Amino acid sequence: MTAADRSLPTDALHLLTTDPGPWLSCDDCFRLVDRYVEVLLSDFDEPTPSELAAMPTHLSGCSACAEEAATLLLLAATDEGVDPAQALHRLTAM
Amino acid sequence: MTEVSHDHSVSRQAEGTSPPGEDWIAELTSSGPVRDDALRRLHALLLRGARFQVARMSALRGVVGAAQVEDIITLAADEAMVAVLSKLASFEGRSRFTTWAYKFAVIQAAVELRRHAWSRREVPLDAAPPLIERRPSPDQYAEGAELAAAVRDAIDRVLTPHQRRIALALIVDEVPIDVLAERLGTNRNALYKALHDARSRLRAHLALEGYLTPSTRSPGETR
Repeated sequence: MTAADRSLPTDALHLLTTDPGPWLSCDDCFRLVDRYVEVLLSDFDEPTPSELAAMPTHLSGCSACAEEAATLLLLAATDEGVDPAQALHRLTAM
Repeated sequence: MTEVSHDHSVSRQAEGTSPPGEDWIAELTSSGPVRDDALRRLHALLLRGARFQVARMSALRGVVGAAQVEDIITLAADEAMVAVLSKLASFEGRSRFTTWAYKFAVIQAAVELRRHAWSRREVPLDAAPPLIERRPSPDQYAEGAELAAAVRDAIDRVLTPHQRRIALALIVDEVPIDVLAERLGTNRNALYKALHDARSRLRAHLALEGYLTPSTRSPGETR
C-alpha cells in the first residue's frame, strides 16, 4: 500500500460515518452469536431480544465477526433445513 | 455460495425434542464407547464447520495453497475440540449444541487462514500517509463529495494518532483485525474498541459541523 493508493473508498466512507451503535466487544459478540443466528433463523416477525440488540451494529462494524457469523448462520440453517436468505440479510445493520 | 455438506449422524441430536444439547452433554460427559462415539461425531462436526469457513474465504484460500489449507482445517478442528470440551460446563442451552460448537471451529479456521494468508504481507502502520483526494466517482457524488472531504479532514484532525492508525488499517487498507492485533501485540477487542471510539468521535465532529444528524447516544457510550 502506498500513499497514492490511500484514497477513501465509498464503503469505507459509509462505515466511518454510520452510527457504530452501543458498545459490544468481539468477545461478547462471540458469546452471543450462536443464539443470535438461531433467533434470526427462527422467526422473522419476532423482535430481537434486548441482549442481542447490539449485534447488528457490531457485525456491521467488525468484518471478521460478520464473516464468521455468516458462516455460522449458514451452518445452522443447513442443520435446521431452512432457507438462510432473509436471516443473512438481517445479520448486520447495514 | 458453497454448499454445506450434511452428515446426518452429526446433527441428528439437534432434530429431537429434548432441550438443545442435552444428549450431547450427557454423552460427552459419560465414559466408554458412548463418549468415544460422541467425541468422534463432535470432531466430524467441527471439521465440517472449519472446512465450510475456509471454503467461504476463497480469496485468502488461494493465497495459502491447498496443502496448507488442509492443515489449517485440521488444526482448527482439533483446537476447537479442546475449546468445546473445556467449556462444556458453560453451555447454557440457549442455542442448539451443534450451533454453539460450530462457532469454535469457525473462528479458529477464520483466524488461522487470515494469519497464514497475511504472514508475508506488509502492514503499513508506522507512518500512515494522509488520505488523498481523488476525482469523485459517480458513487461518491451520490454519497456526497463534500462529506468525503470532511471525513478525510476529520480523520487527520480529530482522531488520536492511535485511532487514526487503527481506523485506516482496518477500514481503508482492510487489514484483518486478527492480523493487525498480532502485529501490534494486542487483541481483537482492543482494536475494535479503538475503531468504535474513532467512529463515534468522527460522527460527533461531523454532526457538529453540520454534515450528519447527531446520534441519540453520547460518543463512546458503553453498555
